[in-house]
Amino acid sequence: MNPIDIDLTLLVQVLSFLLLVFVLSKIAWKPLMKIMDDRRKFIADSLAQAEKEREQAEQIKREYLEEMRQARQEAQEVIAKATKLSEERASEILAQARAEAEKMKQAALVDIERERDRAIADVQAQVSDMSVAVAEKIIRQKLDLRGQEQLIEQFIQEVGDMPC
Amino acid sequence: MHEELVRWHVFGMSLHAKTLVMTWIVMALIIIFALLGVRKLSSRTPGKMQNVLEWVFDFVSKLISDNMEYEKGRPLLNYLVTLIMFVFFSNMLGLVPNLTFNLFEHFHVEFAELNKIFEGPSFMSPTADINTTLALALLTIILVIAMGIKHHGARYFHHFIEPYPVFLPIHIIDMASKPMTLGFRLFGNIFAGEILIKVILMLPGIYVLPGILPDVIWLGFSIFVGVIQSFVFTVLTIAYVAQAVAAGEH
Repeated sequence: MNPIDIDLTLLVQVLSFLLLVFVLSKIAWKPLMKIMDDRRKFIADSLAQAEKEREQAEQIKREYLEEMRQARQEAQEVIAKATKLSEERASEILAQARAEAEKMKQAALVDIERERDRAIADVQAQVSDMSVAVAEKIIRQKLDLRGQEQLIEQFIQEVGDMPC
Repeated sequence: MHEELVRWHVFGMSLHAKTLVMTWIVMALIIIFALLGVRKLSSRTPGKMQNVLEWVFDFVSKLISDNMEYEKGRPLLNYLVTLIMFVFFSNMLGLVPNLTFNLFEHFHVEFAELNKIFEGPSFMSPTADINTTLALALLTIILVIAMGIKHHGARYFHHFIEPYPVFLPIHIIDMASKPMTLGFRLFGNIFAGEILIKVILMLPGIYVLPGILPDVIWLGFSIFVGVIQSFVFTVLTIAYVAQAVAAGEH
């Protein structure tokens, strides 16, 4: 008998195999493919998630660095401002002190002037008193000497002309 | 024991009873195997059987993506995985040692009637019947034409008359030779393997070691052949489909 014997079995085998494909697709391959797709999606999602989180971390780091930089800058500014302010204040105080000292000096000078004037006046007064006294004495001694009248006159004149 | 091949008769046509029964056994085995694999489906902690099934899927997916754009071949994945498993299980079934060891019954088979070996209560590969392999090959060629029409419409038939209408006969022969080579290659490999198993079993030295050793060697080689043939059948199916899908894209 010829082993190559084609008959209706061919058709039945076609149908059997198609049935097998159908049944397996229904009960096994579909759920299995779904699970495999789920896993693929899960992995892809996880990777995307990780990527997103990495980006977020990067973003936070960038912001943090930016804030640090700003804070440092602000601190620098505050320090600079404070330094400037204190310098200004110092020079102000210095100027004030200087002005005050000047004023005091002026006042002192005025006082000195006044005192000097007064002292000179006093001296003048005393000198004139003393002159008068001297003159009195001299006059008392030599008044009888008429001839000296003119001399006394001259003396008084001179005392009166003295600068005060 | 010169019984005839058991045949069933339907509508005046004959059926190879044993081939059909063996096919159903293979189908049942594959369904059980697949059900074991998908019994506890899990995307995080796949079981051993699930891993095996996923390995088969990945293997076939890789074959598809090696030959064509994966998205175009993806609808065929179910069919191709079933195909490779069916051919593989079929090839293996004929290698399962006969439970009844009915080798006495065939001891006096004449060499001119070797196919009588398939009679009796022994296992047989469904793929050792030309009807099975030709059925699969016909499905392949239907698939090829269907995919060609799906991706190119009526333009698909245009490639039959390229570059000149004179080439039409050559294209037709090319198309017809594909299922024939597919079917006969698988049938020849498996049929020859089974014949040789029976012949080795008929060797006089069957009760002593020298008879067992060649049988074991041949069984091992047959497993190898069965694996290779299931792989070849699937790869060629994918390659033919890829040709049809890519036809005219140049």
